[in-house]
Amino acid sequence: MRNRAIRWKPALAAMLAISFAAIAQTGQQQATPKASNAPAPAPKRDLSGVWLYQGSGGAESTAPEKDMPPMTPWAKARFATEKPGYGSRAMPGGNDPILQCDPIGFPRIMFMPTPFEFVQAPNRVLQFFEREHAWRPIWTDGRSFPEDADPTWFGYAIGHWDADDTFVVESQGFNDKTWLGASGYPHSEDMRVTERYHRVDHDTILYDITVTDPKAYTKPIVGPQRTMKLRPNQEIGEFPCVWSEENSFTKRIREPAAAKPAK
Amino acid sequence: MNSRLEISLALIIAVLLVCGPVWPHHGNSAYDEEHPITISGTVTEFVWSNPHCQIYMTVKDAKGKDVTWAIESQSPGILRRNSWTKNSIKPGDQIEITLAAAKNGAPVGFSGGKAGKIVFSDGRVLRMAER
Repeated sequence: MRNRAIRWKPALAAMLAISFAAIAQTGQQQATPKASNAPAPAPKRDLSGVWLYQGSGGAESTAPEKDMPPMTPWAKARFATEKPGYGSRAMPGGNDPILQCDPIGFPRIMFMPTPFEFVQAPNRVLQFFEREHAWRPIWTDGRSFPEDADPTWFGYAIGHWDADDTFVVESQGFNDKTWLGASGYPHSEDMRVTERYHRVDHDTILYDITVTDPKAYTKPIVGPQRTMKLRPNQEIGEFPCVWSEENSFTKRIREPAAAKPAK
Repeated sequence: MNSRLEISLALIIAVLLVCGPVWPHHGNSAYDEEHPITISGTVTEFVWSNPHCQIYMTVKDAKGKDVTWAIESQSPGILRRNSWTKNSIKPGDQIEITLAAAKNGAPVGFSGGKAGKIVFSDGRVLRMAER
């Protein structure tokens, strides 16, 4: 027993040394050690500022494909009509609705590599996305959801604070025209979304999202916890989706890159 | 089990630990991001617009023939935050660009993320990595 424990020590030391050395080399963003200490604590009940999801840098989906729950027959029929540009079923000649500049909608907009800004007003929190230059109001005046609301691309959102550092948002009233992410996946008008924005310190939000849609999925879709960072010096740019620009990009880049190899 | 085998196992585990979270930056599987290449040529067009800025350039192939390469970069918003402007690249610029080429062999590529970069003939370097 004693002999076996001693033999593991050099192996463990080698493993840790190599891991740390390699991570230090690839961590370009942390190449210079920060002179400052840990970030300041989170202000209470305040998410104001520009935030950026620290994702892969490309387009993503609500949850990875391996974590998607089974689809209902309704959803499977819809899924079969989708031709995404990403994921395991990526294919040329795609019909992703955002290629023709349909609104990307919610929650898919949350998983794009572009920032958003929270602006807090007396009776609502406004979420302002760089993508599509879109505003999403989140009502905080204690109201209930409207009866029989018109289904919209971004839904109707109501938020409240759970303790002083977590903003919980419930939304419903979505149309069924958007995909749940870059790899596809439909949802119905019955979709309901719960988000938790937990500001753990001045510069960091830990973000959780759950999508419940029994018409489309047999269980809720639970996204992985995501990190958002405050970007105090950034301004939200004006970037509407422009169909002529999308179309030009599709013709000049997407289609040549996806074409079958020339023989 | 001898200690050499244990060290080897530890090395394998260490490599896997480091490589695990390093996903390709771009979700599109059309490009070979595992094996970036570097090509040199003359810029003919720089498109500064969504969804991705584009660089069109003339490159000589192995036989000395002119080939037009079409390379997508990031959105203007992301590039702006990396200190690019719409004037960062101009037609006529001689550049060396690192990119992931299309798997189908077409002269199309993606230059973005940490591997993407452009080096100008005067030594100026532009990077695409963000955030």
